[in-house]
Amino acid sequence: MGGGEPASTSAAKSNPAPARPRIIAAIVIAIYVIAGVVVLIAIWTVLIFNHLVRLGNEAKRGWSNIDVQLKRRTDLIPNLVEAVKGYAAHEREVFEEVTAARTAMQQASGPAQAGEANKQATAAIGRLFAVSEAYPALRASENFQKLQDELTDTEDKIAAARRYYNQTVYQYNSRLQSFPDLIVAKLGGFHEREFFALESPAEAALPNVDFAGEAPPQ
Amino acid sequence: MTLEEQVRSNRIRSAMLLLSFGLVFVAIGAAVQALYGGVSLIVIAGVAFTYAIFAWFANGRMIASWTGARLVTKEEYPELVRAVENAAIGAGLAQTPQVRVVDDPCPNAFAAGSSPKTAYVAATTGLLAMMNKRELEAVLAHEIGHVRNRDVRLMSLAAVLVGVVALVADLALRFAFFGGGRRRDGGNPILMIVGLVMLILAPIAAFGIQMSLSRRREYLADESSAEITGDPEGLAMALWKLKQDKTELRHANRATAHLYIETPLNNASGPRAALSGLFATHPSLDSRIESLEKMGGFQLPVPAGQ
Repeated sequence: MGGGEPASTSAAKSNPAPARPRIIAAIVIAIYVIAGVVVLIAIWTVLIFNHLVRLGNEAKRGWSNIDVQLKRRTDLIPNLVEAVKGYAAHEREVFEEVTAARTAMQQASGPAQAGEANKQATAAIGRLFAVSEAYPALRASENFQKLQDELTDTEDKIAAARRYYNQTVYQYNSRLQSFPDLIVAKLGGFHEREFFALESPAEAALPNVDFAGEAPPQ
Repeated sequence: MTLEEQVRSNRIRSAMLLLSFGLVFVAIGAAVQALYGGVSLIVIAGVAFTYAIFAWFANGRMIASWTGARLVTKEEYPELVRAVENAAIGAGLAQTPQVRVVDDPCPNAFAAGSSPKTAYVAATTGLLAMMNKRELEAVLAHEIGHVRNRDVRLMSLAAVLVGVVALVADLALRFAFFGGGRRRDGGNPILMIVGLVMLILAPIAAFGIQMSLSRRREYLADESSAEITGDPEGLAMALWKLKQDKTELRHANRATAHLYIETPLNNASGPRAALSGLFATHPSLDSRIESLEKMGGFQLPVPAGQ
């Protein structure tokens, strides 16, 4: 009996006693849970932030690719005008048009304006080449051919860079617009980027190319 | 799969490839040990380890020397270099890969190297002669796609590793059949048979690994090309031209077959053709053209099946 009694009293004592420790335990668990959630949110925010930074950098690199080619183009235009002038000095109108387009390119700020100016330049240069068709000696000149070749190359490169840039801007902007990234974007001061020379408004909604690559049956 | 997932999976697969290569070599080493005795296993494992390290870093150069791809300048091949530049810009690569040319009348192209920084794109002179600007850009965009998707290291590693497995197993077998340095004590006949079987299986396993890498990757690179150039039809026309062509690549080689845009072994005849059908590294050009047609919503004027 002597051995059984202390055991039963301690059992009786331990029954009402845990009320306080239980509350404390509950509070501790709650604190852990809250801390865990906070840490998770923090990690998640950092991940989103980094992703946005990376997308933004990709868009920046895409833009610098375009910018390099736009500069090259503005550099080539005076040479082209000079070359054509030597054979067709009286085609003043076209020269003025080309020069005006070049000035617009130089003064453009931001991708949207640069895109417009570039379109204008493409049209003007196209007309200049059309005019030059009437001067066989000009067309035969090596200098002119080289310039024509270089300008075609810049045009191709601008087109390639434009595709990449607009694609990344599309991805970047749509992340900025969607929850929960938009909260991080607001807090982190991210801003949407301008598209460059969209051919149609629908292009801003390019389908995101999916790598699922459903291999067709062989 | 997104691009990031593709890149990650390629990294994991590269590591797994090295591991399975190691296992295949341990098997070969064990087989040689069983056949000839001595310290063959340790020696072979050591050589394989050294080779693997070498392969990890220098696979691009090794493949260049096997295929005869030499570096070219923009002055030599302005159209080709420009097409590569355009594709690299379109893919958003940080830098344009180097450009190499293989002097071969058979039209084909490949990309190799261990990272986007050291990767290069190679085209045969036959390809340059056959394709117009639009098609050439599409083909090179396919190769640039492999570079951007980080396929190049995996595919290059597979090429240099598969090649050497085949070579070593072949050498060991030849020794076995022509009785060079057979062990004196006779050895255990069961062990020796197991060794022989392993030597025969090793290259087959290596080709199996190689095959598992390739087929889906080609569809993905076709998709990347369409995305980079915005012109799936250009690539479809290029593939159609490749299909019509019957010339054979001079440096056609089992080990490097999966690198090319079109399998270089299809045009072979005899036992090699039968083998290439069994171990095809590429999906058929027809099914690739078909999936491009679906993607771009167009139809080549010539039916793909013709």
